[in-house]
Amino acid sequence: MRIVQLESDTQIGGVMLILTRKLGESIVIGDDIKITILGIKGKQIRIGVEASTGMTVHREEVYRLIQEQNQQAAKSVEVPGEQLSAIWDKLRNRPLP
Amino acid sequence: MILMQRGILGFEGYKRFVLLMPSAGEPLLWLQAVDEPGLAFVVANPAVIKGDYNPAITAHDIESLDIQRGEDIVLLSIVTVQPQPLRVTANLLAPILINAANRKANQIVLEYPAYPVQYLVLEDDAMRGRDGTQQQIDRGQIDKLSVAMAAL
Repeated sequence: MRIVQLESDTQIGGVMLILTRKLGESIVIGDDIKITILGIKGKQIRIGVEASTGMTVHREEVYRLIQEQNQQAAKSVEVPGEQLSAIWDKLRNRPLP
Repeated sequence: MILMQRGILGFEGYKRFVLLMPSAGEPLLWLQAVDEPGLAFVVANPAVIKGDYNPAITAHDIESLDIQRGEDIVLLSIVTVQPQPLRVTANLLAPILINAANRKANQIVLEYPAYPVQYLVLEDDAMRGRDGTQQQIDRGQIDKLSVAMAAL
């Protein structure tokens, strides 16, 4: 079992934990998640994530983009049902090319 | 009743949903949260929106919902409707995957950036699709959706 060298304060839960790893080294979170530094090339870092099958892993900006879109979509309920029907009518009655 | 396993991204607390069909034969449906009357999503069969929609569903996604047969797979895209000015988009990047056999569902995230989060379905009064061409709705897809929905 590797002992991880921690920098400064090591508070967990809502605060960012900062660690320094070398190529090939890993971080273990909880019992199920293992993150490994696989490669470093210029400004890009290749990261490997091993997690139990119940978990999903996403790039943060993609995750955020979908969350925001979902929030927008949830507001669509304020559109009256008749308008939704009208939208479908428009789609269906378009002249065929 | 549809049972979300992980919930919709950003709304993970809401796991129980029902699918409501405002009018028979129309592919725009409501995914209504059982436990929160104010929370509902307009959804549609993505194949009706984009005929060649072919998402790569991973083994992980299949296992998460205990999917045993291909026929049990139902996909729905969350549709965003902006009323003024009218703009309708569908999220093709993160569809709702449903196992019709056990009602379990998840919002899955496909490999980025293959499909857009905002696929333009309709804008203003012009019937222009994302690539500027007229889009044709396949009636066969509408029937398939009705059959799939009836099974749920």
